[in-house]
Amino acid sequence: MLISTKHLTKHFQLGRKQTLHAVDDVNIGIEENATLGLVGESGSGKSTLGKMLTGLLRKTNGEILFRGEPLPDKFTAKDHLYYAKEIQMIFQDPYSSLNPRMTILDIIGEGLRIQGSDHNIRDLVASWLSKVGMDPDHMSRYPHEFSGGQRQRIGIARAMIIEPSFVVCDEPISALDVSVQAQFINLLDELKASLGLTLLFIAHDLSMVRYVSDYMAVMYLGSVIEYGPSDEVFYSPKHPYTRLLIESNPEPDPKLERSRDVIPIKGEITSPINIQSGCRFSDRCPSVKPECRHITPVMTTIDSNHTVACHLYT
Amino acid sequence: MIDFSPAEKSVAIEQITRPSLSYWQDAWQRLKKNTRAIISLYIIVFIAFFTLFGPFLWQVDPALQDLNQVSQAPALPKQALLSAAYIQWQRIVIQDFPAEPDSYRDQVYAPKSLRLINMATTQGVRLSWNPVVGAGGYNIYRNERYPEGFNDLGLPLGSTYAGNEIGYEDRLGLEPLTYYYSVVPTDGFDEYEVYSVLTVTPQLTITVDEAKARNLVSDTARPGDVISLEFHPLGTDYLGRDMLARLMEGARVSLFIGIFAPLFFVLFGIAYGGFAGYFGGRLDAVLMRFADFVVALPFLLFMILFKIAFGVGPGESGIIPMLIALVLLSWPATARLVRGQVLQIREQGYIEAARLLGGRDHYLIFRHIIPNTMGVILVTLTFAVPAAIFTEAFLSFIGMGVVPPTPSWGSMCNEGVKTMLSHPHELIFPALLISITVLAFNLLGDGFTEALDSRLRSRE
Ligand SMILES: Nc1ncnc2c1ncn2[C@@H]1O[C@H](COP(=O)(O)OP(=O)(O)OP(=O)(O)O)[C@@H](O)[C@H]1O
Ligand SMILES: [Mg+2]
Repeated sequence: MLISTKHLTKHFQLGRKQTLHAVDDVNIGIEENATLGLVGESGSGKSTLGKMLTGLLRKTNGEILFRGEPLPDKFTAKDHLYYAKEIQMIFQDPYSSLNPRMTILDIIGEGLRIQGSDHNIRDLVASWLSKVGMDPDHMSRYPHEFSGGQRQRIGIARAMIIEPSFVVCDEPISALDVSVQAQFINLLDELKASLGLTLLFIAHDLSMVRYVSDYMAVMYLGSVIEYGPSDEVFYSPKHPYTRLLIESNPEPDPKLERSRDVIPIKGEITSPINIQSGCRFSDRCPSVKPECRHITPVMTTIDSNHTVACHLYT
Repeated sequence: MIDFSPAEKSVAIEQITRPSLSYWQDAWQRLKKNTRAIISLYIIVFIAFFTLFGPFLWQVDPALQDLNQVSQAPALPKQALLSAAYIQWQRIVIQDFPAEPDSYRDQVYAPKSLRLINMATTQGVRLSWNPVVGAGGYNIYRNERYPEGFNDLGLPLGSTYAGNEIGYEDRLGLEPLTYYYSVVPTDGFDEYEVYSVLTVTPQLTITVDEAKARNLVSDTARPGDVISLEFHPLGTDYLGRDMLARLMEGARVSLFIGIFAPLFFVLFGIAYGGFAGYFGGRLDAVLMRFADFVVALPFLLFMILFKIAFGVGPGESGIIPMLIALVLLSWPATARLVRGQVLQIREQGYIEAARLLGGRDHYLIFRHIIPNTMGVILVTLTFAVPAAIFTEAFLSFIGMGVVPPTPSWGSMCNEGVKTMLSHPHELIFPALLISITVLAFNLLGDGFTEALDSRLRSRE
């Protein structure tokens, strides 16, 4: 395991009596050179989990082990400097993640400058710009002169230029159109192969996650409810939520898509504030059982690698 | 033999490029298109020039009183006649005429051949007339228009109390205008309803000694020469001080407060708000509550307290207390604004990215946060300057700030109000300068807001 979590928890204290459970008791691990896909609805805590792994957010509870060593509880600037060469992140919003006052050269070269690299920053930035499929001549331009997809590439180049071993990709493709998404996935694949990357790939599009990742974790309201090899989770989902999620994924073939009867997930996602014990999905679950409402299900192993947190399997 | 060969690939891509502009370059381009803002910028540059270099070009002592030209409206240079020193006026009393009439009469004739003795100058107008039979004295009046009747003789200048005293000297605030002197015979107490009128235009004169003292003439000048008096392009005030020189001098006070008060409180506000916003949490809450408290303090009361604390008595100029009061009470607005900006920027992805790359606090602040708040700060500063200039003018106008004799635009307005009806130029010029400066800064601020703001919008 390159990085793994134990009972990782993040609660946001909203008021005196209101606690938002953004991430609750998450245990995941990522093998070296593997990709873990993290899926879940909006607001399920994916970004929060990713930011805790990078040290940007302070965890409320639990532990993160990186190469077997626990990461510091609260990252100082020094810790970040130390781990910068190991852990990086590609941010969800390609607009807010680039400083509008800096040129592309300064943005991509920022890591090298902070790290005090003795490389020729200009040349390295130019080579990375062509690696992510952009014109190196655009180095002296400003972010507002680029499209969302191009900005996302700039974000990738910024994270990759210091050649980290683990990268959190927070929905790097949701801002891109479908044709560019495929290019992007290929780019990530190439980089992964050439740099020996380990990735946490966050997305809500299941089919894309299946394509890029070796393992898949499904999150719901802050907890991981199913975890296993990508294909296995995708083709034989166990948790009712995963099933619904996969069924609601549109079929590329319009004939098939039309003949398919989709049961939409009913109800709203439950509020993440002051969560009580019991299965978090019980309000919307089509196969809910009485015990689901007050006993929190624990992760149980189905196959060697496939685990699920659901009372149907205990 | 080869019949076919592949066509050479030549794809000329048409390139439409425009230079890549930085934030400030782009904002400047936008500002340049805003005519109002550019005109305002020129006006501000002109006023700065007026304030800084004006006194070197127009070397007139703003405190010097030109008593020959008091409350002078803007005019071309005036000529004056050099005269000898003033000679004491000898009363004209004729011997072969009774001082008191021997008997009372119902009617007398108007004084005949009312005339000037010597030349009429602003130094003095000397009149004489023939004695009137039956008069026991004469009243002398002066009017600035031709008297329409017995009740329109104008200003009573004085009286003689004998029928044989037939001369009078007027030295009362003479200006080179046309005056209408009237002489009315009396029986010693009451006037007879007859009068004679003489039209007199005194010649502007200045004594040789005074002219020499004010460096207007060389040593060889003699009485009778015509010389040019001091030139007052914008006129003089009620004490004969040059308006242009005073406006330049006053601009220093006004702009000193107008530039330095905002500079200090904006700097402090940035530091305070930035600190609160960057570190956030409970510290932020406490700091901002204190800022709210400061907002609630009444400005005028504090102005008075500071004047007392600094030992500035009534009637003394309190430039420094005014500056301190402005700085101490005006920073919360900037602090709030900057805090809001910093809170917003702090959540931006590029800050997190820089933090992940190992950037320390000062790196984040100086490299990311400050450049991104500069636009807002610039706009605040340009709006704070006219506000401070206006506050200074207002305080000086009500006598709380700079008081006479130190000129400031506000205190000049205060003095000008007193002569507003007779000599409006003393009020109009400082008021106009305040208005133009405040307007120019406001329009420039508007221009900045637009130039910087639309740029922010095009980012999305
Ligand atoms: N700083 C914060 N303070 C309070 N609540 C927060 C904060 N950050 C996130 N949350 C809450 O935590 C929950 C999880 O947010 P998170 O951003 O991790 O969701 P996500 O899975 O990334 O969603 P999306 O797919 O929309 O990006 C949400 O309910 C959100 O409102
Ligand atoms: Mg997210």
